[in-house]
Amino acid sequence: MRLLVIEDDATLRETLSRKLTESGFAVDQAADGKEGLYFAREYPVDLAIIDLGLPEVSGLDIIKQVRADGHSYPILILTARDRWEDKVDGLSAGADDYVVKPFHFEEVSARVNALLRRSGGWASSVLNAGPVTLDMSRQEVLVNEAAIDLTSFEYKIIEYLMVRAGKVISKAELTDRLYDQDFERDSNVIEVFIGRLRKKLDPDNSIKPIETLRGRGYRFALERNQVD
Amino acid sequence: MNSLSSRLLVSVSVLLLCFFGATIAVLDRAFTEAGEQARRDILDGHLVGLLAAAEPDETGRLVMPNRLREPRLERIGSGLYAEMRGDDGVVLWRSRSALGLEIPQGADLELGDHAFARESLADGTPLLTLSLAVDWELDDGASQPYVFKVAESLDGFNAQIAGFRRQLFGWFAAVAFTMLLAFSMLLRGLLKPLRQIETEITEIEEGDRASLSGAFPTELKGVARNLNLLIDSERARSDRYRYTLDNLAHSLKTPLAAMRSLLNDRQDKDFGRRYNEQIDRMDEIVRYQLRKPAASADRLVLAPVPVEKEVARLIDGLGKVYRDKQPEFEVRIQEGMQFRGDTGDFLELAGNLLDNACKWCKHKVRIAVVPSTGGSAVASGMILSVGDDGPGIPQEAADALLQRGMRLDESTPGHGIGLAVVKDIARSYGGQLSIQPSDLGGAEITVSIPPVSAAKDN
Repeated sequence: MRLLVIEDDATLRETLSRKLTESGFAVDQAADGKEGLYFAREYPVDLAIIDLGLPEVSGLDIIKQVRADGHSYPILILTARDRWEDKVDGLSAGADDYVVKPFHFEEVSARVNALLRRSGGWASSVLNAGPVTLDMSRQEVLVNEAAIDLTSFEYKIIEYLMVRAGKVISKAELTDRLYDQDFERDSNVIEVFIGRLRKKLDPDNSIKPIETLRGRGYRFALERNQVD
Repeated sequence: MNSLSSRLLVSVSVLLLCFFGATIAVLDRAFTEAGEQARRDILDGHLVGLLAAAEPDETGRLVMPNRLREPRLERIGSGLYAEMRGDDGVVLWRSRSALGLEIPQGADLELGDHAFARESLADGTPLLTLSLAVDWELDDGASQPYVFKVAESLDGFNAQIAGFRRQLFGWFAAVAFTMLLAFSMLLRGLLKPLRQIETEITEIEEGDRASLSGAFPTELKGVARNLNLLIDSERARSDRYRYTLDNLAHSLKTPLAAMRSLLNDRQDKDFGRRYNEQIDRMDEIVRYQLRKPAASADRLVLAPVPVEKEVARLIDGLGKVYRDKQPEFEVRIQEGMQFRGDTGDFLELAGNLLDNACKWCKHKVRIAVVPSTGGSAVASGMILSVGDDGPGIPQEAADALLQRGMRLDESTPGHGIGLAVVKDIARSYGGQLSIQPSDLGGAEITVSIPPVSAAKDN
């Protein structure tokens, strides 16, 4: 998943980005409103964390512009102002949730995960599809209730696919969203990881969780168990 | 022209000028007309006297007696003149008083005509003349036309009018002056309380006085009272700010001290958690202070808050925040309901209550807002209640929640500060908070804000 963090305080921005990266996200950072607005409109973004009090362009204006452009990715507001007046302004501008400063990282992380899975249409942080269960908060995958040992990159791929279960995800999108930088653009790497994932999740090739659509990409093919 | 008294004085002077001007014009005209009428009557009398004195002589021609009864006609240059002309305009007789003077002949008259005219002598002396053309019948039955004319100099009359006018202007000027003088003195007296207010306000500014004295005329009592209210509320506000600031600064010192002492056992494995605890405490203190009520001055100066619209915004936002739970909101708001107060305060009241309800509810949240009115209310109050179908709040816990004031130096982890803020805001509007079971199954929290009554008399 690729996150965009727009925050003018360097310490806060860097710590937050570092911790999010440690949690397995690819993170882009912007230090002011102008840069932030550019990133928010031009970059592939799965979720944006936006501080409201930004220099150049205010967070509220970024949110409005992004929504006016038709981007629908979730937006989490960071704000030092916690009067309801300010929260309501942010939410009605198009944000999806808020975290009030000073915050604990765990709170931000929980909200980010919740927003991401909601944007994929999941109501709980434990995603269930067929015999496959993915627990976003524990970063754990179970097949028929047996834990599967995955590398962090393998986990990122299955999480990305499963959150968007039923949708076709291109290789380019996967590389875009999963890598921090532009290196390793080689799509063969993705193929290799998908192959390994298939072996780990479905050693006897019976449940077929990941479908390959030639020339288009991959799709998590199992039916969701959970109803919204 | 910026002072009230000069404006008044100028307007009154203009009024007086118009009034006296009109009066003088009317009086002058009446006096002149009456005087002229009197002159005409006198001339008429003289003419009758002349006719009576005229006698035909033996040749049948009219002659005047040697001496006339009217002494002014005999005295040279007396100002009263008479003459008699034949019908060819030849002067047949002229009074002695007109010796050396040429009385103008005037317009031709038909027989029997009787005409007044304003004419003048060769030297310009104005005259009022009365001419009469008669056909004199002689004893033998023949008749002869004559024109009798009396004239009086208007010099005396004009002088009289001029004198009258002088007097008129003199008196009116004196009266006007006296009136203006009296008026400006009256004005000074009337405006004295205003100057007193000004002086007293200066004294308040300099700290020599606490409030305006009550010794003002009835019309100004209201102003003085409202000024006093304003002064009091300003003073209360600044006291409150000072108190809050003081409180805030002091309450931050305890966690700061704790943090400094914690730095000594940095190696302790609990260090991070304990340090964080202090930060949370400071955060809570600051957060609470920032959310304190905004409005405490007169609510009537605030624009009314459209309750329906603001609640809709809140519910829209909360719907996003609690999307996993998807609480079902039931909104019961009287159409067009308005709240007299600060928008931020209203959002704080409704937002905190709705947020709590969303947190605790199973599925349902109900918000109801109705206006509350009172006898002399000029703006209605509000009864805002938010209920949910959650676990509810047991009576003892409710009492404790309501009783406990939010103390800054007392951290209340987990309980949040929402309810404390709601309580504070309700209190700042003179209202109160109550907790009761909701018919939805959970708790219902009600905030009652009383109506604003008309300016209180103290």
